[in-house]
Amino acid sequence: MTMDAAAHLAVRGVSKRFGATTVLADIDLAMPKGELLTLLGPSGCGKTTLLRLVAGLAEPDTGTIILGGRDITRTPPYRRNVGVVFQSYALFPHLDVAGNVAFGLKLRKRPKAEIDATVGRVLALVHLDHLASRPIRALSGGQQQRVALARALAVEPSVILFDEALSALDRKLREAMQGELRQLLTEIGATAIFVTHDQEEALTMSDRIAVMHRGRIDQLADPRTLYEKPATAFALSFVGQSVRLAGRVTESVGGVSRIETPAGPVLAPKTFSPGYDVIVATRPEHVRLGPGDNTLTGTVTGVVFQGARSTVEIAAGGLKLSAELSGRETPPQPGAAITFGWPLAETLIYPAEGVA
Amino acid sequence: MIAAARLLPDRARRTALLLSAPGLLVLVGLFILPLSLLLGVSVQGEGGFSLAAYQKLFGTPHYRHVIWNSLWLAAVVTLLCFLIGYPASFAIARARGGWRSLMLACLFLPLSASVIVKAFAWTILLRSSGIINQTLLFIGIIDTPVRMIFTETALVIGAVNIFLPFMVLPVFSVVAQLDGRLGEAAATLGANPLETFLKVTLPVTMPGIIAGVALVFALAVSAYVVPTLLIGERFPTLATTIAKSYLLTREEAFGAACGVALLAIAIAVVVISARLTREERA
Amino acid sequence: MRILGLALAWGLAVFACVFLLAPLVVIAAASFSPTAVFDLPTTGASLRWYQRIGTLEGFWPALALSLQVALLSTVVSLVIGTAAAIAIVRGKLPGAEAFAAALVSPLMLPGLVLGIALLQYFRGLGFSNPWGSLALAHLVITLPYVARTMLAGLTRFDFTLIEASLTLGCTYPQSITRVMMPALAPSFLVAGLFSFLASFDNYPVSIFLTDVRTKTLPIKMLQYIEEAPDPTLAALSALILLGTIVLLILADRAVGLSRMAGTAE
Repeated sequence: MTMDAAAHLAVRGVSKRFGATTVLADIDLAMPKGELLTLLGPSGCGKTTLLRLVAGLAEPDTGTIILGGRDITRTPPYRRNVGVVFQSYALFPHLDVAGNVAFGLKLRKRPKAEIDATVGRVLALVHLDHLASRPIRALSGGQQQRVALARALAVEPSVILFDEALSALDRKLREAMQGELRQLLTEIGATAIFVTHDQEEALTMSDRIAVMHRGRIDQLADPRTLYEKPATAFALSFVGQSVRLAGRVTESVGGVSRIETPAGPVLAPKTFSPGYDVIVATRPEHVRLGPGDNTLTGTVTGVVFQGARSTVEIAAGGLKLSAELSGRETPPQPGAAITFGWPLAETLIYPAEGVA
Repeated sequence: MIAAARLLPDRARRTALLLSAPGLLVLVGLFILPLSLLLGVSVQGEGGFSLAAYQKLFGTPHYRHVIWNSLWLAAVVTLLCFLIGYPASFAIARARGGWRSLMLACLFLPLSASVIVKAFAWTILLRSSGIINQTLLFIGIIDTPVRMIFTETALVIGAVNIFLPFMVLPVFSVVAQLDGRLGEAAATLGANPLETFLKVTLPVTMPGIIAGVALVFALAVSAYVVPTLLIGERFPTLATTIAKSYLLTREEAFGAACGVALLAIAIAVVVISARLTREERA
Repeated sequence: MRILGLALAWGLAVFACVFLLAPLVVIAAASFSPTAVFDLPTTGASLRWYQRIGTLEGFWPALALSLQVALLSTVVSLVIGTAAAIAIVRGKLPGAEAFAAALVSPLMLPGLVLGIALLQYFRGLGFSNPWGSLALAHLVITLPYVARTMLAGLTRFDFTLIEASLTLGCTYPQSITRVMMPALAPSFLVAGLFSFLASFDNYPVSIFLTDVRTKTLPIKMLQYIEEAPDPTLAALSALILLGTIVLLILADRAVGLSRMAGTAE
């Protein structure tokens, strides 16, 4: 792993069990300095545990964690220089805004003048400089979120960890915060890990996304690759919408397999042995009315007009599928029998076992 | 490494045990063991095991009356505290801002004030030359001072005064969280005010009532300072009998038996109230 | 009907307030009595009873003893009770619920019975130091107050604060002293206040554990009242009351009475 050698943060072969439950199984992860990475997955996939291991709030059973060239696997959290923004923000209720931000600096015994300057600078960064002497309970949720961020940034941590940090905000505020946070972190060149179950947040915030499932990383890729070439059926279902058909491989010739599905035969660009149970899929935006490399017939059950595009709900062979039309195309009427298709190159195929 | 992983829950449990050890030590060493020993003392006669103390307590008309006195006092005081405190809690919970603070202060100050100080104040208030008599004389309701101190009336007034906050606070803490819309919802369903009270308000505030009644009864049944100062020898209770047995007559087995009886009453109150609360929740 | 109910509630609330405050007002007024028979100071106030407090027989040693016992038992209970409450709230403790109930139970059980039980117990152990007996007994008196308040406080405490402080550079002991204790300060204050007052005012337990030379202030006061009540006692009572008021005002500033009403009972 050449990348690992240059990595700012490296997690190697890390496992963690709680009693009989394996929470993390042999995790490898390497991040260059300045990268924004998201651990994405449903609750219980191990993403928060991995974050806690990096923060030092828990110890792995096996493996090592290296930060800035230093093995920190058994280092207590207070000697790691890691910033954490917690889901509940965990702001100290007995201190005011400035007191919270200065907390880590005081522990590092910085001179008073330097602390004041840093607190002012960081609070300005999150646009809260006018609230420095407010008590915590007088702040809104969004403001508290910013204080938590400022407190983590103030100590100039080697890596900042966000544990579902935006999930407590309402949708509008969350979306505004996502853009702002990404810009801010990029500006100061911070290395950050986000933990979230919100795929939109992951796509917006990250340079790379690690999709986690049952204690493993299913796929670690940039957002575009993740969306276009999901490595597993789980990654496919967890990120973005998809049209999915379960079926069985009947033959496989020249790198193309033929699959029998309840909706009819479909081709996919990958070799599988005949008799194999698979999932065949594509993204709704690749589905067109009329025949394609893969062609199916079905009945329109509904049309939802969404401005720039329309979603057509189709029943085919007892399955419900959806296709996307651009807003300029005239959608068919509900109840109409239609033919629809998509290109072979945009057909995804996965083994059926282990699909959630 | 894997062994360490298996040890982790144990480590958390060890820490918890370590943290709770001093409290457990106090509880067992200074509470449970002494009370168990008391049970032993109460059945100790001159020649070993004996139920003589209990025979004396439950078999003599005088001491049966003593038990009755304790229960009567606790019941009357609890009832009066409830009749005053329950409606008053609603007013305090409805009050806003300064009024609420003022009324809470009126609860907390007497609650925190020394029992002896309050009982002493009542001896001043209730004496023949005291303020109540002077006021009644002045208004002309009475011609000669009424004897109030060292009567059952004085005892009940003093005890209600001391235990009232213990009724109001638990009820208040439930009523304060009461959703005013609950009553409105009931009203729109066709309930008249009395029905609303009986079918909505009363059941919802029941946990507070149970807590307040249990607390006041348990405290009043074992009250010692108030009966001593406000009625004295005329009204012996289990509590005053215990004190007398230990401090004057040195009948320790009998005093211990009275103690066990009093303890049994208090434990019964705790157990019954806990069970009622659980049933309320279910 | 609704109006009637409200009027009744308000009437009783006002009555309760007046009724509850009456003895306190009377004692304060009587302490300024110009004569020796608890007259209200209608003709002229006198401070002479205050000057005579110090001359009460055995007053100063009793006050000192009560303060020592109350302070010591409160501080020790705060440590023990908080530790136990943490163990209970953080789970991992077998039988946590029963333990919590047991810690609070002495509140509801008769103090007099605890007093004679401890008398027999200490005698059985051959432990006859009255100061030590009092201090240990008052631990049982104060612990329930601390346990109850700290259980309520810790249930609301966000333990993520500890983790946050660790990642910001606190060592484990620092996270306790710099975060947990200050954040729980209001609970500590209320717990300390009520357990101090409970100990300082206790009569039923102390009476069995004192000897002729070692008497707490409540025991002395009851003795004064029974022997020769005069306005000096009213003056002393008024001073104790004043101390209580000061403590309550401090607690109100820090916590607010409304919240205390929710957590205290």
